[in-house]
Amino acid sequence: MTLPDASLSHIHRADGSATYLQNGYSIIGGVNGPIEVGRRDELPEEATIDVIVRPAVGVGGTRERHLESIIHSTLQHVILIQNHPRTLIQVTLQVIRMPDSDTFNSKKRQFSSPLRILPSLLQTALLALLSASIPLSTTFTASLITVARGSNTVINPSPEDLQNARSTHVLAFSAEGDLLVAESQGEFEIGDWERVFEMGLHAARSGSENRKGADSDVVMLDDDQGGALRGLVQQKIEKDQKWKENIK
Amino acid sequence: MALSPLVLPGDPIPPGALPTSSNPSIPLKLGPGLRHIPPDRIVPVVAGELCIDHKKNAVWVETNGGRYIPTAGDLILATVHHSTSDSFSCSISPHTPFASLPHLAFAGVTRKTRPQLNPGSLVYARIALANKHMDPEIECVNPATGKSDGMGELKGGMLFDVSLGMSRRLMMPNPSAQGSMVILDEIAEKVPFEMAVGRNGRVWVDAEGVAKTLVVGRAIQETDEGNLGVDEQRKVAKRLLRDL
Repeated sequence: MTLPDASLSHIHRADGSATYLQNGYSIIGGVNGPIEVGRRDELPEEATIDVIVRPAVGVGGTRERHLESIIHSTLQHVILIQNHPRTLIQVTLQVIRMPDSDTFNSKKRQFSSPLRILPSLLQTALLALLSASIPLSTTFTASLITVARGSNTVINPSPEDLQNARSTHVLAFSAEGDLLVAESQGEFEIGDWERVFEMGLHAARSGSENRKGADSDVVMLDDDQGGALRGLVQQKIEKDQKWKENIK
Repeated sequence: MALSPLVLPGDPIPPGALPTSSNPSIPLKLGPGLRHIPPDRIVPVVAGELCIDHKKNAVWVETNGGRYIPTAGDLILATVHHSTSDSFSCSISPHTPFASLPHLAFAGVTRKTRPQLNPGSLVYARIALANKHMDPEIECVNPATGKSDGMGELKGGMLFDVSLGMSRRLMMPNPSAQGSMVILDEIAEKVPFEMAVGRNGRVWVDAEGVAKTLVVGRAIQETDEGNLGVDEQRKVAKRLLRDL
C-alpha cells in the first residue's frame, strides 16, 4: 500500500486545484465555481455540477463518461448545492500518468477495469473542491479493494495484486462512516463483498478517528488515507496563514 | 499567536471551542464557512482555520481560496461592462452574472446629470444587495448621507489581481501591524502612491508613472504568491526600489 501525495492550489487561473499521486496514477484536478451557468443546464434551486474526466492519452470515450457519471452523483451528495442556486460548479480531472498495467496500449486492456482509477479521481476532486472553498457537507475517503483467488482481500493493491484479482471494488465512505460509492466488477460472492465493505469502512474510520484530535496540536499522520488527506490540507492552510505567526 | 485548529467540512466542533462571552445577552454569531444544523450542531463547510472572537461572541472559518461570493456591505472594485437605460452592468468576478449599478447611485447625481462611464471603466463601489437567488446590486454613494465616501470612478492607475485572503489583509485598519504587510510602508517611504482595495481580490494602484505603479502592484502580488514573511518583504521592497 502506498500513501498518496498531493499539492493544492497550484494552478493560478482556476478557483481551486489539486494534483494527486497514488499507486502510479497522477491526476490534476481543477475546480471553477460558482460561475454562470447556461440557460439549458440551470437549476432553480441548486447548483449544477459539471464533471469532466480527460484521459492521459486520446480523447474521452464511454469509459470516461461512465466515470464522470459516478463522480457526478457522488459529488452531488457532498457539495452543498442548495447554497449556490442557478450556478455552475465545474470539476475538471485531467489524468497525467497511469501505471503501465493500465495504459491504453496494454494488451490486457480488455481486463483493465475502469474502476482502478476511480478512487484517485474522487480523491483529486475532493482536494480541488476543498482548495476552491466550495461548501461541502462532509469529506470522504475512497479506496480500491481487490479480491484475489482464495478470497484474499487487498486494499490499495499493487500491480501484481491487480493482475491476480478476481474482482475489483471501489468503496467511498463519508467521514461519518456513511457509504457514498459502491462499485464492483468481476466475480465475487456476498461473503467477499462483506469483507470488502468492512475493510473499506475500517480504512475510512481510521481516517476520521483523527478528527478527535482537531483541538489538540498533535497531527496524526497515520498510514491511512483519511489522515493523509488531513495532513495535506493542513500543510496548505498553515502556508496560507503563515503571516499570522508574527501577530501578537 | 499559535495557529487555531484546522477544521475540515463536517468536522464536529467541540462545545469547548466555541466562544464564551462574558455578556450572555450577546447572541453567538456564525461567520463564513459555518452552518447551523438545528437544534445545536455547528458544522464547518470549508477547510480552514477556526477563528474565534470572544469579545464579539463570533466564530468563523478563515480560508484563502476560491471565488469571491458577493456579500452586502463589502467594498469591491468592479469593471463597467455596458450601460442600460437606467443602470450600468458591472463585472465583479469573471464568468459570474453582472451586478447592476443604477445611474442614480452616485453622489450628487440627478436625472439630468447622469454619470458617463464607458465600458471598461473601473468603479469602487459597495454591494448594496446580495442574495443567492438574485444578481447583486452595487452603489457608489452612502444612502444615509448622500456622500460618496471615497467611492466612484477610479481614473488612471492599474488593476492587480490578488487572493481573497490578501485583499482582506490589505483592508485591515492597520495592515502593517495587524496583517504583517510591511512592504507597503517600505515602498511608501520612497514612492508616493494611491491605492484602493476591493474585497473581490482586486487592488487598484496609482503612482507617478507606470514604472512606479508597477513596483507597488508587483510588491503586493509577490508577497501574496510567495506568502512572504516580514524580512522577505523588506528584501523584495529593496530589490524593486533598486530596479526603479
